[in-house]
Amino acid sequence: MISSDVIRGYNDTIILYLLLEKESYGYEISKKIKELSDEKYVIKETTLYSAFNRLMKNGYIESFHQKQTHGKKRTYYKITGLGLQYYQEKCQEWKLTKEVINRFIKEEFL
Amino acid sequence: MDTIISYLDNMFASLPNTRQMRELKDELFNNMEDKYYELKQAGKSENEAIGIVISEFGNIDEIIEEFGLSEIKDEEAKQVLTESEVDNYLHSTRTASKWIGVGAVLCILGSAVLVLIIGLMESGLLKISEEIGVLAGISILLVFVATAVGLFIYGGLKLDKFKHIGSKGNFDLSYQVRERIEDEKRAFQPTFMLTLIIGVVLIILSPVVLFTLLTFGENFAIFSVVIMLILVSIAVYLFVYFGSVYDAYNRLLKTKKANGWTNQDHNEERMNDAVASIIWPLAVIIFLISGFIYHLWHINWIIFPIAALISAMFSGAYAILGRKDK
Repeated sequence: MISSDVIRGYNDTIILYLLLEKESYGYEISKKIKELSDEKYVIKETTLYSAFNRLMKNGYIESFHQKQTHGKKRTYYKITGLGLQYYQEKCQEWKLTKEVINRFIKEEFL
Repeated sequence: MDTIISYLDNMFASLPNTRQMRELKDELFNNMEDKYYELKQAGKSENEAIGIVISEFGNIDEIIEEFGLSEIKDEEAKQVLTESEVDNYLHSTRTASKWIGVGAVLCILGSAVLVLIIGLMESGLLKISEEIGVLAGISILLVFVATAVGLFIYGGLKLDKFKHIGSKGNFDLSYQVRERIEDEKRAFQPTFMLTLIIGVVLIILSPVVLFTLLTFGENFAIFSVVIMLILVSIAVYLFVYFGSVYDAYNRLLKTKKANGWTNQDHNEERMNDAVASIIWPLAVIIFLISGFIYHLWHINWIIFPIAALISAMFSGAYAILGRKDK
């Protein structure tokens, strides 16, 4: 189980990755995160919606309303061109971060 | 499921009641509901399901921080009115002021009926004993006034739920709604001005009618009073109805003219209410006593114009003095 503190800076990356695959809504995204992380990371509702709000403010995602097949009105999100650019930057940033942090990790404790 | 609903209610209780927050709450509720049913389907017990849903909710402070609510959390949050709320307010104002106007007309017509019955008796057109005539007249007056009071209460209750718009001004309008209301107000302005002019002309003309008819002889005195009261009642209705509708637009747009929520106007209103609540019943009492005991029915209607003058003088003087103090 990953603590939310450690992963904080990468929630946006995770959400954008999922939205790149297809537009989606809150609950579906949180289920996918749980699934893809083998239940090692469960994003909290409040964290998820704070991230949506932040991404929207920056113009990285857009929202629209759509009714689901069984009737519930949902807010769907989709990634924008700006969002894709930001996602690519985040990927580069992660590559660098991983390299740097790895230098401070003792192999024997892994 | 109730546990989840009340948990969510508690979490959002301290947040401002904006549309954004209401939508977020709905969205979160949908997610939690789906999660709950999926967990139950996966064979979790009621308590386990609720426990997981709540533990995965997170921390509401995150929302407060991210949505920039911390600054506005303390001050009273202004509600943004939706278009349907605005429509509702305007519609209710129209209905309520229609009935309040009718109530005011009934009060005036009640006295007109009383004067008319007495006039018909005195001129010998209505052959009933004086007591029965007076009794019938007063009964009709009381029935009219009682109906009017009912209408006032009905109208007042109808507007009561719009207090936050009507008297507190604690709201905001979205840009589009504001534009629409401004357009509607502009379209309404000529009608309002016209009815205002008609009302003022009627009020000015009513004594003229009175004096003109008086020149035809004493017999016409009472009928001219009736006509005068009818003219006044039409004017009052025009003032009440069109005035209230116009005022509603101004309140929505928060134009200076309708700043009913400033202290000055509020005090004035209260002063007027206080004066009116003394003067008018007193006038009715004097009217009845002078009629019954001193048989002054032919002249004592003069009490009502005098009462109107006095209350107008009071409110005028108070308004001027109040403004000087500031």
